Amino acid sequence: MKAPFSAYLNGLRGGLKELIALLRQDYDYVSVLATDSKGLAVRISQRSRSVSSETMTTERGVVVRVCRDGQYSEYALNNYDQAHPAAAAEEIRAALERQAALLRQTGTESFKTPVLADEPWELFVEKETEQLPETTDVKALVETLTAISDQAMTLGVDMLDCQTSAQSTHICKMFLSEHRDLRQSYVYSEGTVVAIVSREGRTQFGYEGLSGLCGPELFARLPEKAAASVAQAEELLDAGRIEPGEYEIITSPEVSGLIAHEAFGHGVEMDMFVKNRALGREYIGKRVGSDLVTMHEGALCAEDVTSYAFDDEGTPAGDVIEIEKGILKTGICDALSALRLGIAPTGNGKRENFEHKVYTRMTNTLFDSGEDSLEDMIASIKQGYLLEGMESGMEDPKHWGIQCIIKLGREIVDGKLSGKVVAPIIMTGYVPDLLGNVSMRSKDRQVFGTGGCGKGYKEWVKVSDGGPYLKTKARLG
Amino acid sequence: MLDTIVSLLKESGVYAWEISDVKTTGWEFYFIRHALDQNRVRKVEHITVKVYQLLSDGAWLGSASGEIAPTASAEEARALIEGLAYRATLVKNKPYTLHKPHPAEAAETKPIDAAAIARDFVETMRDLPETAGEDINSYEIFVAEKRRHFLNSEGIDLEESYPDSMIEVVVNARRDGHEIELYRMFPSGTCDAEGLRRDLLRTMRYGKDRLAARPTPALGKADVLFTGRDSVSLYEFFADRLGAAMVYRKMSDWKLGEPIAADFRGDRPGLTALRELPNSSKNRRYDAEGAPIRDTVLLDAGVAKNYLGGRMFSSYLGLNEAFLPTNFAVSGGSAEEAELRQGPYLEVVDFSDFQVDSMTGDLFGEIRLAYWHDGDTVRPVSGGSLSGSMLELMEDMRFTGASVQYNNWRVPAATRLKGVTVSGIE
Repeated sequence: MKAPFSAYLNGLRGGLKELIALLRQDYDYVSVLATDSKGLAVRISQRSRSVSSETMTTERGVVVRVCRDGQYSEYALNNYDQAHPAAAAEEIRAALERQAALLRQTGTESFKTPVLADEPWELFVEKETEQLPETTDVKALVETLTAISDQAMTLGVDMLDCQTSAQSTHICKMFLSEHRDLRQSYVYSEGTVVAIVSREGRTQFGYEGLSGLCGPELFARLPEKAAASVAQAEELLDAGRIEPGEYEIITSPEVSGLIAHEAFGHGVEMDMFVKNRALGREYIGKRVGSDLVTMHEGALCAEDVTSYAFDDEGTPAGDVIEIEKGILKTGICDALSALRLGIAPTGNGKRENFEHKVYTRMTNTLFDSGEDSLEDMIASIKQGYLLEGMESGMEDPKHWGIQCIIKLGREIVDGKLSGKVVAPIIMTGYVPDLLGNVSMRSKDRQVFGTGGCGKGYKEWVKVSDGGPYLKTKARLG
Repeated sequence: MLDTIVSLLKESGVYAWEISDVKTTGWEFYFIRHALDQNRVRKVEHITVKVYQLLSDGAWLGSASGEIAPTASAEEARALIEGLAYRATLVKNKPYTLHKPHPAEAAETKPIDAAAIARDFVETMRDLPETAGEDINSYEIFVAEKRRHFLNSEGIDLEESYPDSMIEVVVNARRDGHEIELYRMFPSGTCDAEGLRRDLLRTMRYGKDRLAARPTPALGKADVLFTGRDSVSLYEFFADRLGAAMVYRKMSDWKLGEPIAADFRGDRPGLTALRELPNSSKNRRYDAEGAPIRDTVLLDAGVAKNYLGGRMFSSYLGLNEAFLPTNFAVSGGSAEEAELRQGPYLEVVDFSDFQVDSMTGDLFGEIRLAYWHDGDTVRPVSGGSLSGSMLELMEDMRFTGASVQYNNWRVPAATRLKGVTVSGIE
C-alpha cells in the first residue's frame, strides 16, 4: 500500500500558502517546511518494557525561512493557526525584527547570500509500505520482541539480559514556496537486538540490527539477529587486548560503512567548504584513494532510513559519486551553501527536525563493490585483523584524521583466522593513507541504517552507510 | 490545552498519568568568522503524556507515552490518550507508584531575558583578541528561555523556568600554509563571558602548539593527566554506575555501603548531587518525574552511599528518596596540581572524541593534542590513541582538591591516571 500523506498537513496547505504570500510583501524569498511524522517505539528486555509514540524523527511543526537584503532568517513554531495567517506573519516579522535590532546594536555584519532559486515544481510522493507504525499490531510486536529476548537468554551461559527494540516512523513533509508545492510520505523502520553478558565482574554486549525503507513488517526478520548478537557478546568476554601497531586489515561491510561516513562523508559536506573547514575543497580532481575506491552519497543510492524524494529545502534527492576510482570528484551540498559556492545543490540539506537549522548532511554513503572473495582477502594477509562491528566514529575534515571505535578484531595469521579475538579496537589514521591502501574489495555490499549522525556533537539525523569487505592498512590500538 | 488533556486523562480511567509541558522561546545566531550567516527564532511547546495501567489485579504495571501537539483538537487528544491507554496494557513491568507532592518548597518561574544573554555572547565573541596565526573560524549561539510545567495524577503540579544556553566555537590556527581547527562546545545557563574568553584563549594557544606538535611516541604504558573538559567523562563513569537502572539491570555491581574498588592506592573519589551550581544550565528544583532535587552524597571516599535514578528503577531497589540529579560535584582529591605534574606523563588536552563506556569500563580516544612531559622537557605531540579500563585505572587515580566547573559538573582541576595504554605513531 501507499504510505498516506498527512491529512493534518493537507489541512495546513492553504493557510501556509497565504502566509507565504503575506510575508513575500516584506521579504525577497519565503519558504515553509511543515512536518507531521508519527512513530512507534517498543523496547523489551528481561527487566523493563516500554511503548512510546516517539522516535528520533517524530515531529509536528512548521519552519518559515525568509531572506531580505541577502540575510537569511528562520522562525520555527508548532502552534500555527491556519485560520489566522496574518497574525502569524505579524508575529514572525516582529520576532525577527527584535533580533535584527540586537544585531544592529552590536554592529554585526551580515554574510550576504543571493536569493534562492524558486523554479516551479510540484511533487506528491507516497512510497510503498506494507504496514504503518500508527496502525500496526503493537500487541503482536511486543510478543515478538519478548520472544526474541527470552530466546536469546537461552543461547549463552553468561547472559545477563537481552534488550530488543523496534522503531518505525512515518515521515510526512511538505515544502511550500511561492512556486513550489512538494509533499512526500514514506516509512522507515529499524530494529536491534543487544545481548548483555557478564562473567567475573566483566560486562560486555553484542549488537545486531536491521533497517529499511519499509514499515513494521521489517521486524519479522529480527529474530534471526538474536544468535549473532549473543555470540558476539560471548566472544567479547573472552577477547584479549590488541598489541598496538599498524596492521593489514579487512573491514566488514559495517566497518567499511563507518569509514565511508567518517573519512569522506563529513569531509565533503560543502557547508564546511564555505567556512573553509574542510581540506577536501583543495583536493577536488585529485587522488585521495586507490583505484579500487569509488564512493556514492545520496538519498537515491540506497533504499534505507533516509531515502527521501526531496530534502528539507525543497531540493530533489540525488546520487552523487564523491570518489571515482580514487579521484575526489565532488562533495554534497545544501541549497544555501551551493549558492555561496556557485554550484548546484545535491539534495543534502537536512534538519534534525523543524526546530533546527539546515546543514549539509549525509544520507546513504556507500563504497562500491569489487570482485574479490572474503576468503581470498583473508588468504592474502600474513599478519592482520578482520574488523567487525562499529561503535562510533569521529572525523577531522580539516586535518583528515579519523577515529573509529570498533567492537572486535579477529586475528589473521598466515592467511587464516587464528581464532583469537581482540577488543575493543580504536582505529586511527590519515584518511588518504587508509583509502590509498585499499587493495581488495569483495563482491557483496551491505547497507546499515540503525545509527545516527551528529554535526560536531549535535544536530542528530538518521543516516545509513555501508560497503563491501575492504582490505587496507591501519593503525590499531 | 493542558486543562483539556488533564480532563481527558481523568475521564479515561487510566490508573495513573504524568504530563510534561515544556515551552521554549529560543534565539539563535550562526556566524561565519564574525559575519552573521543566519538568525533564527524558535517558539515551540512540547506536551508529553505518559499513562499507566494496573494489570492482572495489580501484579503488573503497564505504561505508554507520546506527544500531544499543542494544536491538537480535543477529539485528536482524546484519540491519542485512548491509544496510549490501550498500548499501556501491552507491556508488563513490576508495579511501582508515582511521586507524590512534596510540600517543602514551591517551584518558581522567573522571566529570562534571552535578548540580553544573546547580546553578551555576541559581544564576548566580537571582542576576543585574535591574531594572524589563531582566530575564530565560526560559531553558533543558542539561547533559550524554557518554562516547564509538570503534573501527575498524584497531585504534583509545578512550574519552573530556566535559561539554557550553548555556544559552539571552531578555532583555527595556521602556520606556513598549514591550517588546523579545534572544536569546542560550551553549554551554560547564561553567558559566562569571563570563562568563555579564558577557555577560548587557551584553545587558541593549543592550536598554535598543535601546529608544532610531533608524532606521539609509542609509550606503551604511561601516566596520563587530564586538565580539560574531558575530565567530566571520567567522572560521569561514577555517576552512571551509581544509576538505579544500571544497578537493577545488574550492569553495575556497586553496592551501597561498600567500596567501589577492591583497593584504592590513589585518591578515594567522592561524588555529590547538587541542586544548584553557579550558572549551570541544569539547575532544577524538581527532576523530570516531579521528585525534589536535594544535595545528596552519592559516593564518599570511594564508598557508594546513594543511588540516583528515576522512579521505576529506584522503586525496584526499594529506594523512596532517589531522584534524577542534574548537577554533580567531585571531591576527595588530596593532591596539589604541581604534585601530579611530577615525573613523566602525557597531558592530553584535545581528543577527537574521548569516551568512557560505563558498562564495560573501557576508555579510549584519539589524541589530537597532548604534551609529553618526559621528566626534563615538555613537547606537544599529536596522533595515536590511548585506551584502558576505568574499572582498573580508578584504583590508582590521583586528583586535585582544587576544582573547576564545566556547566553542570564541578570536577578536579587535574586528574592523573596511572598506566594507560598509549599507542603512538612515532
